[in-house]
Amino acid sequence: MAVPNSSFSRRGFLGIASGLGAATLVGCNRAANNAGAGGTTPLKFWNMPWGSPEFNELDEKITTAYEPPEGLNPATYQVIQWANFTQTFASAVASDTGPAVSSGGGTQAFQFEAQDKIAYADNLLESWKSDGLYDDFLPGLIDAMKVEKGYAAIPYNLDMRVLWYNTELMDEAGAEVPKDWQGFLDACEALKKIGVYGYGTSAGAGSYTGSHILVSWMINNGGGLFDEEQQPNMVTPENIEAVEFVLECVSKGYVDPASPTYTSDNFESQWKARKFGMGFGTAGLANNIGGEVGKELLIGSPLTSPAGKQGMLYFPNNIMMYTNTPNQEASEAFLTYYYKNMAPLWTENTGIGLPPLKSISETEGFRKDKNAVKAIEEWQPISHTWAAPGGEALFLGVTTVDGTPAIDTFTQSVLGGKVGAKEELTKLQEATAKAIEALG
Amino acid sequence: MSGGVLTERFARARRGVGVRGNGRPVPAGRGGPNRATLTLILLAGPSLALLLLINLYPLLYAGMQSVRAGNLINLGRFVGLANYAEVLSTPEFWDSALFTVIFTVTGVFGSWLIGLGLALLLRTRIPAGGLFKVLLLLPWVVPVVVSATAWNWLVATPQSPLPILAETLGFGNVLFLADPMLAKITVCVFKVWISFPFMMMMMSSALAGVDRTVYEAAKVDGATGWQALREITLPLVSRSTYISWILMTIFCVNDFPTIFLLTGGGPVNATTSLVVMAYRTVFQNFQTGPGVAIAFLMTLVLVVISVLLYRQIRKVDIA
Repeated sequence: MAVPNSSFSRRGFLGIASGLGAATLVGCNRAANNAGAGGTTPLKFWNMPWGSPEFNELDEKITTAYEPPEGLNPATYQVIQWANFTQTFASAVASDTGPAVSSGGGTQAFQFEAQDKIAYADNLLESWKSDGLYDDFLPGLIDAMKVEKGYAAIPYNLDMRVLWYNTELMDEAGAEVPKDWQGFLDACEALKKIGVYGYGTSAGAGSYTGSHILVSWMINNGGGLFDEEQQPNMVTPENIEAVEFVLECVSKGYVDPASPTYTSDNFESQWKARKFGMGFGTAGLANNIGGEVGKELLIGSPLTSPAGKQGMLYFPNNIMMYTNTPNQEASEAFLTYYYKNMAPLWTENTGIGLPPLKSISETEGFRKDKNAVKAIEEWQPISHTWAAPGGEALFLGVTTVDGTPAIDTFTQSVLGGKVGAKEELTKLQEATAKAIEALG
Repeated sequence: MSGGVLTERFARARRGVGVRGNGRPVPAGRGGPNRATLTLILLAGPSLALLLLINLYPLLYAGMQSVRAGNLINLGRFVGLANYAEVLSTPEFWDSALFTVIFTVTGVFGSWLIGLGLALLLRTRIPAGGLFKVLLLLPWVVPVVVSATAWNWLVATPQSPLPILAETLGFGNVLFLADPMLAKITVCVFKVWISFPFMMMMMSSALAGVDRTVYEAAKVDGATGWQALREITLPLVSRSTYISWILMTIFCVNDFPTIFLLTGGGPVNATTSLVVMAYRTVFQNFQTGPGVAIAFLMTLVLVVISVLLYRQIRKVDIA
């Protein structure tokens, strides 16, 4: 059969296809090259959903309202969801397509710093000394960001762990708000008599509060996980006493036996169901619970341990700058603007953690929330980072206990109640030492 | 045509030899590919290159990660098979492997039994059969995140429906997720619940191909219902059964969300399967080498199981 001549031959088609392919590759190459230029190339600011949806809306407004000084780069805004955020950041940073500035996980800056991907904030902090911003940070916060080569990040919002109690249930049980460990046991016993748990906690899928509180008991007793050499030192008398105290709470029925597998939602639902009369949670717990029960919740004062000490674990979440930036000067200029204009994120109750700046905590808008004020005034000064008791400055090694399988297993074992304190601390110590060794 | 010639032709036909010869393809002429072949290669080339990039490159990269002491950003130094040796020497790996076996066996055979039973039931004429089919497909259709949330609501707290039911029946405070043994059972039951619609569909399609007259003949011969199931139904759907077992084995071994969303692998690692362990090693411990080594070991085991089951399919074909 004769094939009619076509003006669009097979050879022609292949030629056009090859040409288009080559043009696309050239275009991509040019785009990639342009991305590295300074001037008008926007610098990418990635932030997390730290509060309600209103948080990111307001945060984006603040970011896009930024007018850079002459010759410096403007900023773009992107929300990064918590789901799989580690992968999101790691793949972006590894391929040099990541942000110039971002928040993220509390220990993220220290992981990337070890890979030489972080731009140190020393110059920026130095510049803030002259305009008062540096002195505006709450005590001890900036020091928590210092690593050997410089400041890996800048404190952003504080994720505190505090003692909460339900005023109605405490009254019904005739319990007094505890001030020390014995008082805590007494209040738990009183609550137990009305069918309510006094040590509300959770350690299930994606919920790390349980492990945070276990470490908090240790810090409260003068212990903790790491020594001055930033090495794991967990099998100490202070820690053993603290874990034994928790085991006592479990054995006496003060801890909900299903707690080891409670998610954050289960934890909140137990508060809402008035099954938790007392317990530990974030400073925003009452707002998260909301409704009538939310109004019944108050933050207590820090507990004093048998050693006569006070202490709690907290997380100074931070903002970091990356070496992959169109212009380091632009990154610093943007952050100066951001820190001077971010107050509405707290004063307009967007649900973000506690503010790092004294000036924000003194605003009328912030002080409307009595619980938040109590957390800042009473709990922040006695709180310590993962690095306690050896120090305050965070370091790469703390990533081995921050939401890792080893500390999850430790927490679930202790909250299960069928283990020994020394035995479990030894296991945690060994697993942590091994993980630190693997970090290199 | 004589009977002998016919017999010979049938025999040749069974061997795949036609009347005019053995049907071997005409050998290609010398001088390399012609223009049509070249065009074909050029047209298929981009797709093949894309496939290689999508599949082969990640596989090779993961292979490199498994023999290096790296992290999520850097490949790290070469350590040979040390990651494999380390993984295989930890008790946690073998605990996870055991749970993976339990989870997979329960998931495959539990869902197959229920799926087959429902497929047989739906083969009979029941009122609103189509509606039932749609409703029974829901566990498979609904996103696993939604299912996991629903199951969490069902079992997680003492105020959840199932613990209340258990207490009413006199079983006391049953900790469906906090007790290690019950957590294992709950996760396995959840998997069966999610998976049975798939098996039901596979078995329904297989049963649709079975001629009902075979059953009528068996009935005439005095076969009981159980004999008909064992001697007729199961052999006739065996090919589909083996295929569904292979697929479900792969689904179960690789199933991350079902476990991770419901228990996170807890309590105290009781429900940590190999895929969950691999995820936690890479993304929570930031040790890509051992984590990817676990994934490769899983792949190896899956290939072996798949080959063994595939051989069964071939045996069925030959029979």
